Amino acid sequence: MVETVTLTIDGQEVTVPKGTTILEAAETLGNRVPHYCYHPGLSRPAQCRLCLVEVEGAPKLQASCVTAAMPGQVVHTQSESARAQRRGVLEFYLKNHPLDCPICDQSGECKLQDYVHEEGRAHGRSREPKRVLGRDDFGGDVLFYGDRCVMCTRCVRFMNEMAQDPRLTVVERGNRSVIDTFFEEGLAGSPYAGNIVDICPVGALVSKDFLHKARAWDLDHIPSICPNCSQGCNIDLHVRDNLVQRLKPRDNPEVNQHWMCDYGRHRYEWMNHGTRLVAPARGRGEGLATGTWEAVLSDLADELAEAREAGLGVRALASPFASNEDLAALRDLVEALGGGEIVFRSPRADQEIPLPGFPKLVRRRDLAPNVRGAELLGMRRVGGEDASGGLESLVGFDGILLVMGDALLDAPEDFGAGARVLACLGTHPPRVAAGATHLLPIRTHAEGEGTFTNVEGRVQRFWPGLHAPGEARPAWQVLAFLAAALGAEGEVPALAAEAFARLAADHAPFQGLSYEVLGTRGALVNDPVSLPGA
Amino acid sequence: MSDHTKASGPIPFRNPGWAGNTGSFDLTEAQVRGDDFVGVRPPDGGHPSGAPSYPYMKADKAPDAPLFEGPYRERFEKILTRYPETRAALLPTLNLAQELRGHISPDTMREVAVLLDLPEAYVRGVTSFYTMYNKKPVGRFLIQVCTNISCNLCGGDEVLAAFLKHTGTELGATSSDGDFTVMEVECLAACGTPTAVQINSRYYENVTPDGVPAILERLRARGE
Repeated sequence: MVETVTLTIDGQEVTVPKGTTILEAAETLGNRVPHYCYHPGLSRPAQCRLCLVEVEGAPKLQASCVTAAMPGQVVHTQSESARAQRRGVLEFYLKNHPLDCPICDQSGECKLQDYVHEEGRAHGRSREPKRVLGRDDFGGDVLFYGDRCVMCTRCVRFMNEMAQDPRLTVVERGNRSVIDTFFEEGLAGSPYAGNIVDICPVGALVSKDFLHKARAWDLDHIPSICPNCSQGCNIDLHVRDNLVQRLKPRDNPEVNQHWMCDYGRHRYEWMNHGTRLVAPARGRGEGLATGTWEAVLSDLADELAEAREAGLGVRALASPFASNEDLAALRDLVEALGGGEIVFRSPRADQEIPLPGFPKLVRRRDLAPNVRGAELLGMRRVGGEDASGGLESLVGFDGILLVMGDALLDAPEDFGAGARVLACLGTHPPRVAAGATHLLPIRTHAEGEGTFTNVEGRVQRFWPGLHAPGEARPAWQVLAFLAAALGAEGEVPALAAEAFARLAADHAPFQGLSYEVLGTRGALVNDPVSLPGA
Repeated sequence: MSDHTKASGPIPFRNPGWAGNTGSFDLTEAQVRGDDFVGVRPPDGGHPSGAPSYPYMKADKAPDAPLFEGPYRERFEKILTRYPETRAALLPTLNLAQELRGHISPDTMREVAVLLDLPEAYVRGVTSFYTMYNKKPVGRFLIQVCTNISCNLCGGDEVLAAFLKHTGTELGATSSDGDFTVMEVECLAACGTPTAVQINSRYYENVTPDGVPAILERLRARGE
């Protein structure tokens, strides 16, 4: 039983576990006390002086980020003295601030902008010249605009406490203070340095990759899962004009806390890849011609049925970039065709890159989001560390070949030439399209809804952020239609939710899971892996 | 005299205090501060009470001197014994490095960081926080003129101007012969005897613009 305390904040009673700070208690009421230096994942120096609130009985305003909630405490965050304090502090923050919001990347998601807009002075009173520091290239992806900095030292503390690579420090003092590294050392090579851009409450630290690319208010934030390794970091896709502009971490204390690695953060361009498979097609080699989904799918279903009648076997090549639903639907179709082996290829990195301050977060060796899901569905990993090779059992196969999501970049020219049916479900045209009898455009995870299973066995949802090009459809839908046409039981799912429900019903590791169980933080499969630091 | 003030015999143990067992205090000023008026501290730091790490500036600076060898190594190790962790020893270590080299260059910061096993960036942050660490080379004589309230009222600005005029340098710059660097500083805590000027480690009090040439003459004379 957790000991609790009950206090009153702005007239509302709230009960929180003992040891909770006033700021956190207020947040449970949806009352966000302005703050800069406080960050839930870092230590609390209480130096920004913005979160001061009035506590009845205390002689002076209290820093709510470090003051523990006490029983019977009466807190006023909006009292005249608290507001006057914030107004004064904000005026000081603007003393040397360049007010270059029109050209600042942080504009629209800037805490200085927000707070001053809410309760700062309408006009500054300073007539002194502002000190000018210019900008500094910190190396890596990080650019520093010293004039915008509010000296909250979140970045310094992240590098000290989380990355445990203490390269940042406060140089000089007073109004000459500036964040810097050891002269020209910079942050290059620090694998988690990109997080300091996220936690910077103002526009002092900005991403070079995102520099002047989009305004914050034009971006749609779509909750998703990082597809670049099997850690399954919770992220937001920031999308404008149907293009992913950047990836930002989304809080999940079970997986990535507030952080993500630079490796994952900077690999989003492939989701915007232009050369896409946009229409279903059938026919080998020169005879390949696009058609309607109805025509191509019914033709494929007929051919599959014929091949099954002829007693030909089925083999499939899946992709660890596909969702659990897609992989399960592929498994179901293979079973409907008489059963056969499904293999997949996955790129692997040389080493893991952990975040020392939160050891559960690791850039995993498997550089694909759903390796564990594929393994749980009975698929076997083949090929080398660079996701090549391993196609020996498929190259000369003369039965039914199903390829989903693998672009066959290293496959021999005659791949699938001897197969009775070679159906390729892909986002991009497979390199060896000549041997294919059917090409079926499917959606990437950024365009569809579904779930991934991370390395630990945590099933997590992602949501569609982009419009799929042309006639691309979710793979689970295409595969379930084919399975149904071949006599498999059950309705063809119309929604990702139905596809997930079917997955949970049919496959033991996922038994008992539902969208309700997954929630926003995911849930473990029935046979999870225990991770260090978990 | 009441009884309790009388020593009842030799004291078996005296709290060594911050500087260790400093022994006798029957010292002359020359023993504590060095025997030259701008200060020549013996490389071994002098008498233990002479605070081996006390901010100190020699006239004969050696920017390329190795950190720390011989007696300086002993003084550095003595500094280390005083603190529970190396981070706390950073300021006295930087003092010692500055005494030896005259200023704290980036290379010195790096060497100190290695010696104390601290992040280089942290050492830079600390060094840059304190204005008494010279971040660039200074002349053999660092002249720091107080222009804070008391000295200012009594002509600190004129004294500063006189030093600049007679050394022929600009504020913060070093004279072409490498002898003088003139700086303006905040209160030197000698408000009773304005204008206060600190040259290397020695105070000059009640300085007037007229007295400046004589001071510089003495400095030049001993600079031979």
